[in-house]
Amino acid sequence: MSSGPSSPSRSMTGGGFRPPSAALRAAIVGSPWTYRLLVLLVLGSAWELYARTAKLLLVPTFSGTVGALGGLIVDPRVWSAFLISNQSLVVGFVIALLVGIPLGLAAARFRRIESFVDPYLSILLVTPMAALIPIMIMAFGVQSLTPRVLLVIVFAIPVVIVNSRAGVRQVDPALIEMATSYGAGERQIWRRILLPGALPAIMTGVRLGLGRGITGMVIIELLMVAVGIGGLILNFQGKFQAAMLYALVVLVVLEALALVQVVRLVERKVAPWAHQTVLRE
Amino acid sequence: MIELTGLSKTFPAKGKDEPVDALKDVNLTIKDGEFLTILGPSGCGKTTLLRMIAGLMDWDDGEITVDGKPVRGPGPERAMVFQSFALLPWATVRDNVAFGLELRGVGKATRQARADELIDLVGLRGFEGRLPGQLSGGMQQRVGLARALAVDPKILLMDEPFGALDEQTRRLLQEELLQIWEATRKTVIFITHSMEEAVLLGDRVALMSPRPGRIVELVPVQLARPRASAVDAIEGSAEFAQITASLWRQLREMQLFRRHTAQGRHGTPGAASAEDAASSEPAA
Repeated sequence: MSSGPSSPSRSMTGGGFRPPSAALRAAIVGSPWTYRLLVLLVLGSAWELYARTAKLLLVPTFSGTVGALGGLIVDPRVWSAFLISNQSLVVGFVIALLVGIPLGLAAARFRRIESFVDPYLSILLVTPMAALIPIMIMAFGVQSLTPRVLLVIVFAIPVVIVNSRAGVRQVDPALIEMATSYGAGERQIWRRILLPGALPAIMTGVRLGLGRGITGMVIIELLMVAVGIGGLILNFQGKFQAAMLYALVVLVVLEALALVQVVRLVERKVAPWAHQTVLRE
Repeated sequence: MIELTGLSKTFPAKGKDEPVDALKDVNLTIKDGEFLTILGPSGCGKTTLLRMIAGLMDWDDGEITVDGKPVRGPGPERAMVFQSFALLPWATVRDNVAFGLELRGVGKATRQARADELIDLVGLRGFEGRLPGQLSGGMQQRVGLARALAVDPKILLMDEPFGALDEQTRRLLQEELLQIWEATRKTVIFITHSMEEAVLLGDRVALMSPRPGRIVELVPVQLARPRASAVDAIEGSAEFAQITASLWRQLREMQLFRRHTAQGRHGTPGAASAEDAASSEPAA
């Protein structure tokens, strides 16, 4: 502390009061956003420097990418590409939830269901999903929506099942015993104990599954069916429009972040008591 | 009246472990309005016994009847208080207290009014809207007690309800439980491993021994009621000291005996198991 004769007022006023400039400084220093922006600035500068000195055809500058981003947002081609891609995401992800959550819940409580789900779940968890793409295209054709939807499902569903199952399993058995002792039947135990107890973990599965579903959605478009976002990426790549290509990738990341944030908000709304959730992948 | 006759239970062998005689020929009669404490070392089957009376666990032989009717599962005349509190972490204090009523289909207005009554009784007014995670252990168990009382059972089954609390909180809750019991006179079966708690609360103390779990002695506690207002005097009395000391002598005997037989078994392979030794020697 620099308590010299030059600053007698500080020791007089004591703790509590701070001049507004100091408060502002503390807010800036204390905020995580300061550091996040700082990291972005450092990485962006390094990128800018590299792109300007190397002058490669397929590496745009940071500033060029940011500029292209502004152009893409108003480009109708981009909007229609996102619309097409998200069709498979919406249909596939909803199916993954409708099948995955009940399957995970049932597997946790009923040994017989668990015994037939488990081997297939293991297969799903270890299979490199991208390897399934040619198979699905051959089975359903390039034009159809089906292979894209299926890929989103196989990407998303394992984490949904695993987390729903873990959610029910980690419900305190004392709560089930308590409900039983007050006369609850199986239906009431599900409604009053297991579902609310598993909800935080289910929501974690939804959030992780969403991220994986988005990955699946883009991968199949890149590797096999050149439509939607993936198709546009290939298009930009073919025309050496590097800045546009980079900006499009940034847009996909932004969409994914926004969607995951929405799930996070829902999570906090429906399960406010659970600040700690099981995180499993 | 609760009657246990010839109650026995053996947990089957699991892997390398031998089968365990959890309970062997337990006979016990608990009168209406009696406060019975069950005392024993850990692993003596006292919680198993309580869970059977609650209708949460099957047994192999014998019978449990409540007012002459055999127990086949949980029933509205019995309510349980759990050592781990077993509160719903997502439900408010009021909803937790009303939970038993809700399961029985009592309408919302009625059950909430009843819940508030009991929240008052256990001294939690003002905390109706809190979640269990925002309460101390003592307050959480008050919620557990209120939930059990809310369904107005004839019989309260309490499984080491204060075992997870610190000493000071436990003493406060013992006094409060005495007050509530002395006002309501429900039949209480209270499991504990504390001699002082068993004697302070109970009309009789059932002393259990482990493996096989049996009731070795029923000790009447003739300390005057009401006790809630005279806890200090009771704990300072000669009778209190004498009963707790005698209980401790027997408990220590059991523990030493168990250690002794365990050592014997390890020392000489093929020697009689603890169970065999226990049944061939008279209880201390």
